[in-house]
Amino acid sequence: MTTPSGPSRRQAGIALAGLWFVVVLAIGDAGDLTTESSRMLAIFGAAVVLWVTEAIPLSATSIMVILAEILLVSDEAIVATSEGFDAPPYSGFFATLAHPVLMLFLGGFVLADAAAKFRLDRNLAGVMLKPFGQSPRSILAGLMTITAVLSMFMSNTATTAAMIAVVLPVTARLERDDPIRTALVLAVPVAANIGGLGTPVGSPPNAIALGRLADEGISIDFLKWMMLAVPIMLVVLVFGWLLLTRLYPANATTVDVRVGGEFDRSGHAQILYVVFAMTILGWITEPLHGIPSAVVGFVPVVVLLTTNVIGVDDLQKINWHVLWLVGGGIALGNGVGATGLDDWLVALFDWGSLSTAILAAALALLALTMSTLISNSATANLMVPIGVSLAMSPAVDLDPVLAGVIVALSCSLAMGLPISTPPNAIAYATGSIQPRDLARTGITIGLFGLVLVVVIAPPIWDRLGLL
Amino acid sequence: MNELVILVVEDEPEVRDAIVRDLESLGPKIRIDQAESVDDAEGALREAKADNDSIGLVLADHRLPGRTGVDLLVSLHENPDTRHIRKVLITGQAGHQDTIRAINQAALDHYIAKPWEPEILLEIVVDQLTGYVIDRGIDRLAYLDVLDAPRLLEALADGPGRPD
Repeated sequence: MTTPSGPSRRQAGIALAGLWFVVVLAIGDAGDLTTESSRMLAIFGAAVVLWVTEAIPLSATSIMVILAEILLVSDEAIVATSEGFDAPPYSGFFATLAHPVLMLFLGGFVLADAAAKFRLDRNLAGVMLKPFGQSPRSILAGLMTITAVLSMFMSNTATTAAMIAVVLPVTARLERDDPIRTALVLAVPVAANIGGLGTPVGSPPNAIALGRLADEGISIDFLKWMMLAVPIMLVVLVFGWLLLTRLYPANATTVDVRVGGEFDRSGHAQILYVVFAMTILGWITEPLHGIPSAVVGFVPVVVLLTTNVIGVDDLQKINWHVLWLVGGGIALGNGVGATGLDDWLVALFDWGSLSTAILAAALALLALTMSTLISNSATANLMVPIGVSLAMSPAVDLDPVLAGVIVALSCSLAMGLPISTPPNAIAYATGSIQPRDLARTGITIGLFGLVLVVVIAPPIWDRLGLL
Repeated sequence: MNELVILVVEDEPEVRDAIVRDLESLGPKIRIDQAESVDDAEGALREAKADNDSIGLVLADHRLPGRTGVDLLVSLHENPDTRHIRKVLITGQAGHQDTIRAINQAALDHYIAKPWEPEILLEIVVDQLTGYVIDRGIDRLAYLDVLDAPRLLEALADGPGRPD
């Protein structure tokens, strides 16, 4: 996440993107670069600049990618495509905006918003926190667990907003110089970021990777993603907890966190509880019934809307722009594949000379670094097509699933700066933590997670038959 | 949009100082401008506009030399440019008619009777400014550390947030 750009950066971003676009289009085919792949390279480069500089809103870049692909490389292109090029139908580029993965995400958004509306999230948090008692270390563990669990199903940002609101009154009752105050405020964004790893609907990078893989014919169901990611999430969470308790030992002997209240017993609330539980059950039992998670996720949208549990005004509050942002990323990956730009990118370098491990580490480190500075989702939009293209090439010995998962998880592990993610920005804005607090915990946790994802997990995934 | 400003309009220097002191904890993020009359306040409003600062709250005494505090609030309400400013009357001497006029013609947001409790004054000001920040679409995170954080966070979660 970056702050909205100033006018000069905005102008520079637009100028650079425009320049790249025009120059690459003007050069056209050259060497191994076909007419269509050169057009796609023009689109890709411009998207890189616009997503990095945030010269225009992230979602605006996404729909611009879709429009440019339709106008330049689809069967309805306004400029002629080469003989022998099998132009993808333009409707396919539009269809990325309703890609099954986006429908899955829509289901997640609707459930999360409905849960927030009936305060199910806060009340569940209260129930889950009870067993953790009052000692500072265990309260911190409880807070992180709850935040991570909520963040698996709600957006990291909404989870952080809800949980920081819980934490602030607690810190206000503690002594001003007690380090546990810092730990409590830091724990929320850390756990929310990490929780986003856990499920396909946890955070947009997961959806971007799943969408790209699905379009390559590799389907990963909800449960399989969780089996890949939840162990990582748990280990990183425990590491984060150990780090926070070590760096910020409490002076207070008890910490009293109050969250949640009476569960809403109205008819609408009860419908929501049932729908919520059934949807999650449906998602994790996909291997048993075989109904795709996107279809399962669409059911709560239909049921909650038809039963008036959520209204049209609630529907308006859905973060549609996030869905568009992800859709543009999927469209970008499709365009790169359809035009053969992926082959050209792969041929740029003799990948065979690199070991798989080094390649995986390089992808992960690049994603982590970029995502520390810019939006996680935008990073995934750029890095997932590159990673998966590389992995799909016969010249590279890297499993495509591994490439997609590594990139997606690395994007979410970036949390070193206040601007790295909206959860960090929220915690920083409370005024209770300093940038150095975020830096030393966020960077340590990010690098630890990276080692786990790149070095330790792949052989285990392989042995368990997950790859 | 540069600074968020509270305008205190009070003619007695000791009382004005006391109000400013009670609101001290909001600084330096939130600036407090002072005026001793309605003319003076109008000057401060013009100046803030020229500097692109945004006056979020006018805290006015009623009895002032020349035009009254209620006159000021009514004129703020009648002008579309200043209608959105939160209006609080802090007074011991507004009569029945003045008070009715402030409510009906100035859409008064709050009435504080003198003498006031410092904590309650601060609470009311924070409450009004938080509402102002949310209504005006100002960045919810910008004043999270001085205004009503839970309410701002609720508004943040409700709004079109940034993607993860």
